[in-house]
Amino acid sequence: MVPKHPFLHYISRWLKASYDKAVLWWTAKFFSIVIALFLSFSKRQRMSHNNGIAGRGWLHVFEELTIPENGFFVPGRQFPITIRHASATFLDDAMNCIRSISLKFSHEDFKSPFDIEMNTGQTSLFWNAASFLQFAKLRKEKWGIEYVEYYKLYPEGLKGAQWAGRRHATSFHNLHYYSKTPMLFQGIDQIKRYAKYRVLPFEDIKESGIPEDPSVWDAANQRILPHETRGRNYLKYEYKDRVQSEGAKYRLQIQLRTANDDDDPEIFNNMVLWDETLFPWVDIASFKIDSILDWRESTKLAFSVNNMPKYLGILPAKSIYDYNSLNYMRSHSEFARKMRMLSLKIFGMVPPIPDNDNRNAEDWGK
Amino acid sequence: MEPNNKDSVAEIIQKCKRETKIHYLHNDGFFIGKFWNINHLEIGYSKMIHNPITILVEAFYYFYKKFRNFITVVHDFLFPRKPKIYVDKLDSYLTGIIIHDSLSESRDPIHNVKVEFWARTKFTFQFRKLGETYTDQHGCFHLNFTLRKARRFFVRSLRIDILLPKDIVYVGQKGTVNWRIFHTIFIKKKNLIGLGYNVHSIALPIWEYRMDTKVPRTYVPKEPKLAPEVYDRKRVDALIQQIVPSELTKTKHLMQIKLDPKLLTIDEIQADYPMNLTQCIEKKLPGFTRSDAWFEERIINGMNKATLMPDVTDHTKYHIKFWGVCHYDFNEHYALPDVDIELVKRDNALPKLHAITFTGPLNAYQKDPWQKHTFRPSDGEKWMQAKRVARMVGSVVAEVDEHFAGTHVNVEQYAIAAYRNLRRNPIATLLYPHIKEVSLINRAADKTIIAGYLPNATALTYEGLTDRVKDIMGLLNWKHWKPMTPINEKHTYALAENLFWEQVGKFIDRFFEENEVDIKKEWFEVYSFSKDLVLHSAPVFGSDFHSSDPREMQRMKDRFDHGCMVYSCHHIDATQAVNGIKKVITPITKTEKFENDADFQNAKDVCKYIIMMATFSHTWINEQQYDDLGDIMYNCGGLRFGLKERGVMAPESDLTIAPDLTRATQMLWFTNFLSRTEYGFITRNEEHDVHPYLIELLLDKKADFAKLGVDIEAIESRTNI
Repeated sequence: MVPKHPFLHYISRWLKASYDKAVLWWTAKFFSIVIALFLSFSKRQRMSHNNGIAGRGWLHVFEELTIPENGFFVPGRQFPITIRHASATFLDDAMNCIRSISLKFSHEDFKSPFDIEMNTGQTSLFWNAASFLQFAKLRKEKWGIEYVEYYKLYPEGLKGAQWAGRRHATSFHNLHYYSKTPMLFQGIDQIKRYAKYRVLPFEDIKESGIPEDPSVWDAANQRILPHETRGRNYLKYEYKDRVQSEGAKYRLQIQLRTANDDDDPEIFNNMVLWDETLFPWVDIASFKIDSILDWRESTKLAFSVNNMPKYLGILPAKSIYDYNSLNYMRSHSEFARKMRMLSLKIFGMVPPIPDNDNRNAEDWGK
Repeated sequence: MEPNNKDSVAEIIQKCKRETKIHYLHNDGFFIGKFWNINHLEIGYSKMIHNPITILVEAFYYFYKKFRNFITVVHDFLFPRKPKIYVDKLDSYLTGIIIHDSLSESRDPIHNVKVEFWARTKFTFQFRKLGETYTDQHGCFHLNFTLRKARRFFVRSLRIDILLPKDIVYVGQKGTVNWRIFHTIFIKKKNLIGLGYNVHSIALPIWEYRMDTKVPRTYVPKEPKLAPEVYDRKRVDALIQQIVPSELTKTKHLMQIKLDPKLLTIDEIQADYPMNLTQCIEKKLPGFTRSDAWFEERIINGMNKATLMPDVTDHTKYHIKFWGVCHYDFNEHYALPDVDIELVKRDNALPKLHAITFTGPLNAYQKDPWQKHTFRPSDGEKWMQAKRVARMVGSVVAEVDEHFAGTHVNVEQYAIAAYRNLRRNPIATLLYPHIKEVSLINRAADKTIIAGYLPNATALTYEGLTDRVKDIMGLLNWKHWKPMTPINEKHTYALAENLFWEQVGKFIDRFFEENEVDIKKEWFEVYSFSKDLVLHSAPVFGSDFHSSDPREMQRMKDRFDHGCMVYSCHHIDATQAVNGIKKVITPITKTEKFENDADFQNAKDVCKYIIMMATFSHTWINEQQYDDLGDIMYNCGGLRFGLKERGVMAPESDLTIAPDLTRATQMLWFTNFLSRTEYGFITRNEEHDVHPYLIELLLDKKADFAKLGVDIEAIESRTNI
């Protein structure tokens, strides 16, 4: 429908868009500062995913690629790779947690041409900046139970938690990790595309740790089960043993779709899966981890969505309700990362997670 | 005295009917009419109600009412709830499930409840509708809306309104449901973050069944906002205006009695209330109201509308039976024997009164419940006294069995089931106008009459009354019900009932024909309606009764046979059992989706029955209460045994058996205000909720009804008093 007064309409839309953008910028900055001050600097912690283990190896882009030609994923290209597996947010591997993999296409602590972070579950627990803030606000963790109110209020959040939580996984290696929020993919042909990434074990292995028929309460109650025999660090020990004995080999896949002006914003919604018939997952690389970093090296690692080529970077966001605002928030969290590094330098390294009976904990100090 | 000139008698009766008929225009004052005159005919002569203070209070009340109405109009003008939905891309949704807030039963989901999502603006407080939907069969709703519309800067607050049907309004032949906000959930704007927002289980007391009653009754929470329905404001105004005069009169009497009972007499009490039909006739035709002819007329065509049962051995005779206390809990103060009235057939006339037989005690000394006493016209004074006792028992039966159980509670059981389940099915628009407010008035009746007046003024205790109502309900079923068969053209009640039934039948046929597609489409509502109806219906009469006394068992069998004659319940399907209890009501359908035509016919039949009970059947008794019970000496709800050996077989002048002062004023009070509803008539259609075709059909037969002594414009559209 053509507006009655196009010029006024344009001005009005421009003002609204500017306001939305300002709110988004302010929200991202404010959140980053809060995290930096109250978590990164004062506690020397990441925002989440503190409980992890890192390793190094090499990534090989497959010789035969079916994706459009681009300047980064060039057939046969090799990259040094550093990965970090983690459990969010508790310091206890036996709890029902979301597990993650973070990829860095270098052996540096931070510097890299391409970083990407992925979690278990095909969908997420939040879908835009507004939902993320609500997610953070309604955590209300106590004794390993959290997000009770959030899951009650937000069905998609609950669904995401049910899909993403992994209890009693047999290994970090056999889980499936998804980047969820789409990113830009612009090949040499200059056609704009959107991309999602995922990492699977190289071999076709059944994913472990998927809860069966979980309820709201199961999602919120992440505590270890009664009579749990697994230790606080069992996944990290298993991964260390695996890498040291045989290595851990993975497959990196991509899902692409061509951008259109009239695309439904829902395609950016990380809660909505792209139809795999129309947009199939295709292999782009494999990588093998053959060495484990110690706790100190692992803790110093940091990943950022800003570590990407421009043509593979994040998509612009318009407001805190825009699905792409999640990556916008991530890209504005540099300050928090720097503050954590500064804090580690000043106050020293955080200790490794002990193998004691302090179960269901999210902090070292208890 | 038997008057000779029958034409003049008929004229006098008609004149008295006109004189004592209550007229009320709800826009007028009640104490003070249009010309500031006191309307004695309507409100009686009590000084309590026409002194200057009362008139001043009434003036203030009118001022308040007008001011209240003005404020409502201004509010609706300033803050309208426009139907336009502010929507762009539907990118978010509200979800939840609405269930019955039942503590002791399973919390069943509530289907087809309307859910609306509204925003209110910051500075102008305007309402903006953001979306609307209905709950599905599982009580779940999924209301889509545009996130940015809800989170606009100018939006001050957000609310989810859960709406229930309030009433129906007909514009032309099309009825639309008006919804009222039953429950509101406020949600914080900042909590809307895109995609879904779950408000979870919303347990609401929407037409819950009471668990403390033996028959299906509506639970009405104490919190007025949670009441399943509310009276229409005009109805409340009319009720207040009509109750206040008789309430004031009664209050004055009770104060006088408390101060000194000698300050008051039965005659003075009677004089303070408006004149009733029998008093009017008695003034013009002394003795006529105590005659056999008047007795026959009132028992057969009056409030009692008694069923004439052919004598099984003598085909020239009929019997009318009124069952007394039977096995129900009773007090020792009042008489209530079984009554068997024997009448002899006559051509072109009502049957002639021949004998009256009482079974049960007639005095305080002979307590044998099976003793029999027969009286005949040749018994002189005793015959007059026997007629008075029979009238009294007939009135209790009419009030308890026919009026309260047969119409009020009977209609209420359909009302609860209908309101619980029918919302989008066109049957809702058909039934709502006729079942509205019955639950509310029944609740009021529980307190004032069932637990108030009746246990104090009749032989039945509260326990006895509730047991009796349950048993009567065990005879009432929509299936196969038919109106009374007229014996001849003098049987005006039966003729009028048949005529009304015929007109309602035509109306139902056309309604179902016009709405067939939608009725079948929303068949799940009919299924749920039927399910609730059957599940909560009373056990079949006598199915839960056991006695070691064979006479008691035989009486129950006789009562069942009599009940089947009265209520057409020969076809009760005793195999219809729920949890081992034989249920009286036949299911309308047993399938969630429409499958067979027999069920469609059942739906028609049940609607026809409900409308008949709620309108004609109720009005008939209700409007004639003051005619038959508005004269203390002529008739009452309970004659006391007294202390003499003759007991209730005593002349009217023996005030020791008549109702005492308190009971007398209470009786006149309640029969007076119950008879003067004067709001909610079919043809007057004050609330524009009655289907125009039904009005048209009834007005077409106005002259025919008038010939039968029925003013069709005085038939109420619902059981609301």
